[in-house]
Amino acid sequence: MDALWVLLPTGQRASGEWIDDTLRERVREKGLLARTPLVGQFPRQRVELVRGADPVAAVNTLFYRRGWTDGLPIVPPTLGSVEAMLGWSPRARHDVLGEVEPLRGLATVEKVAANAVMAGCRPEHFPVVLAAVEGILDPAFNARGVQTTDENVAPLLIVNGPISQALPVNADWGALGPGWQANATIGRALRLVMNNLGGGWPGAVSFAGLGQPGRYTLCLAERADSPWPPLHVELGYRPEQSTVTLLRAETAINVTGGLDELASVVGSAASLFSILHSGKVAVVLAPFVARRLAAEGWTKDDVRRHLHAGGRLPAETWRRSWLYSAVDARQWPAWVHAAAVEGWIPAVSEPADITVVVAGADLAIPQHAYFPSWGHPPCRISREVVLPPDWRERLAAEPA
Amino acid sequence: MVRASAAAEGAGVPSVSLVCEGFLGQAASTAAGLGMPDLPTAAVPGHVDVQSPEELRRNVLTVTVDAVIRGLTESRPRASGSVAEPEARDIVLEGTFDEVNRFFYENEWSDGLPIVPPTRERVAEFLRFTDRAPDEALGVLLPDRRQATIWNVAVNGVMAGCRPEYMPVLVALVEAMADPHYGVEHSGNTPGAETLIVLDGPIVKELGFNYQQGALRDGFHANTTVGRFWRLYLRNVAGFLPHKTDKGTFGNTWRVVLAENDEVLHRIGWPSIAYDQGVTAPNAVTISRFTGGGVIVSVFGSTPEQMLPYLADALARQVGWELCFTVGLATGTQKPLLILSPILAETLARAGLTKQALQRELYRRARIPAWKFERLIGEWTNLVPGRPTLLDLVRAGKAPAVFAESEDPDRPVPVVCEPGDIMIAVSGDPLRTNAYCFAHNGMLGFPTTKPVALPRDWSRLLREARSR
Repeated sequence: MDALWVLLPTGQRASGEWIDDTLRERVREKGLLARTPLVGQFPRQRVELVRGADPVAAVNTLFYRRGWTDGLPIVPPTLGSVEAMLGWSPRARHDVLGEVEPLRGLATVEKVAANAVMAGCRPEHFPVVLAAVEGILDPAFNARGVQTTDENVAPLLIVNGPISQALPVNADWGALGPGWQANATIGRALRLVMNNLGGGWPGAVSFAGLGQPGRYTLCLAERADSPWPPLHVELGYRPEQSTVTLLRAETAINVTGGLDELASVVGSAASLFSILHSGKVAVVLAPFVARRLAAEGWTKDDVRRHLHAGGRLPAETWRRSWLYSAVDARQWPAWVHAAAVEGWIPAVSEPADITVVVAGADLAIPQHAYFPSWGHPPCRISREVVLPPDWRERLAAEPA
Repeated sequence: MVRASAAAEGAGVPSVSLVCEGFLGQAASTAAGLGMPDLPTAAVPGHVDVQSPEELRRNVLTVTVDAVIRGLTESRPRASGSVAEPEARDIVLEGTFDEVNRFFYENEWSDGLPIVPPTRERVAEFLRFTDRAPDEALGVLLPDRRQATIWNVAVNGVMAGCRPEYMPVLVALVEAMADPHYGVEHSGNTPGAETLIVLDGPIVKELGFNYQQGALRDGFHANTTVGRFWRLYLRNVAGFLPHKTDKGTFGNTWRVVLAENDEVLHRIGWPSIAYDQGVTAPNAVTISRFTGGGVIVSVFGSTPEQMLPYLADALARQVGWELCFTVGLATGTQKPLLILSPILAETLARAGLTKQALQRELYRRARIPAWKFERLIGEWTNLVPGRPTLLDLVRAGKAPAVFAESEDPDRPVPVVCEPGDIMIAVSGDPLRTNAYCFAHNGMLGFPTTKPVALPRDWSRLLREARSR
């Protein structure tokens, strides 16, 4: 018999209620008990002792059936492993970062750490996870909407600054996955926080019709050798600061070719919801194209202007769309009506609404990605990653 | 602040509570405990007392105002208010002593010292020492709004390491804790004052409480474990947890029980603390929260004239900011405690002083200049806002006339409102001429006394317990 001392990763409200008691009702109503037969069945306390011949497997079975995972195996959030996470943050374990919508479990530093352990994060990933959680707690992120909408939106995390190279967060081959621990686990930790503290359970609280693979994880870094100032510097941070930037993203659309091919997809794949709410979209630009454009004197702003000018959908397409018939004409912003008069509607209100980062492999067959946006209010949220003062030494001392 | 908002909301007036950043968690817990978990709050960054008016203005305008508007305009879903937790008789863990201890500690049910595992058998032993039913309710305790029951008194008594026969004292203590007069809901305030339990009556000797040398020292089973029980009960039933609902800036360890020296009191004809409190039952507990105390060493002299100036000076020196409970914040609730060693009490009594006469003498002599009183409550601390003078307060009917006997700022004023506010106990080393003086936390832990009810066959039960 072996035993594991595990922290319960699920959310408790300021009132002391556990969000699982709400979830149990929703799961029953929706006939989803087959996935989570043990919803709400757990000891109402901080720590549980799980015994058995194979306690890791026991924790996995229990947590899956209680609805606390994304379906993949989790790492048991033992007291020791959570402690190691906490060692990478200056914040106290019971500090409350905020309430995670829509079920408003308290995001304490300790609860976030438990979810980060479950996601497979290493302790040095924890500061990035905390910054990302702060991001979804910003009212502008509209976590309530993201968690409950029938659209398939997910938070897109872009990591910038020294920490992104040091961990590393992959910005090269396969930056959108799979294969790199930081990309895989930091995005996953945020998803588990949204699931376990916010209660965004699919079908019970979250009504995204299809979901998307980015709901497992969606996290990349910008290439350090980009010819242009990196995203965080564009947003006013100093180069030596590390940041996480969050956008509300729909599924990545891959584009092969040059800027015109990308612009064409930005226009044709524009999300009408994004247009309706003047949303902010993102493009990941291939390093090969970025370098050539920069050599010709282009800046990121020039790229944005080009995509704004070229990435348009015919006004006729808009008028024939289901969303056009579904909402009152007065709900569409003035810039849409104005553009419709000209015959073409840009994907975003203005060039500045296009976030441009340079990532991916440096291939002569350049590959980009376009992320349409969902929902309101327009959002691009950045948070500084707060690192221990001796983080470089500590990282160097980590076993390879 | 949150309690005031809850009262306003209860009267149908919408509210938003302005809460300094460090207190948001406590505000949420307090609101939940008051049955209004969705009471809106608006954070004020940092602590307002150390900010310049410009900083404060900037913080309020950039952060607080938005939250006030949201709190008054957005509706929040009602929480159900019921929190699932283990039932009274659930077995939460079967395991070794070490496992049980780690489990209780990690789940925040322990103070950090090993606990005695509260098995059903041990709890049953405690229940033999009360005639009351295990599920009988003794009250509902804030902030967690949990019910105090005979059963959970026994559980926490076991955990604290008490003996089963202490049960009658434990029940009386929880009755006192649940008395609204005491104000248990204030137990997490920032001054972090700690309760002192005073025990009176023959039960002191029956249960082996130390009431002589080292009266406030650990090392005596009954005094130590009953004192520990008090803190465990505040944690596990009322719900005061450091870093969460307990915001004591420093706090201090729980105090062991102070048992009075019944024989000496009887010999000199002085009433006990419990009797002064109006309880005439033979055995009684008195609880009161004290901010801090100090020993008064080597009281020299054989007459009251020689002894009283030093004792009175100690009383005056021990109170500082707590004077806001004398006048201003909660007028008339400052009840300092003076503990006299038996030899000091006997010397004063031999000179003819009754306890009441001693209280009058101390009241007359324990005085400070009016200007200093005013600064302590309204200038250095801002505890009584608006910097009223004592003359203002007397004119407004918020202070007794003794505080306005002249307009001279140097005039001596008392540190309590009435002679009877000075509590006097007799305990400690019988032959040492030392005293001890505690400053009091006023209405935020007001002296509350309860009789100790003994079970019908107390003598037999006690005999059995002693022979084990």
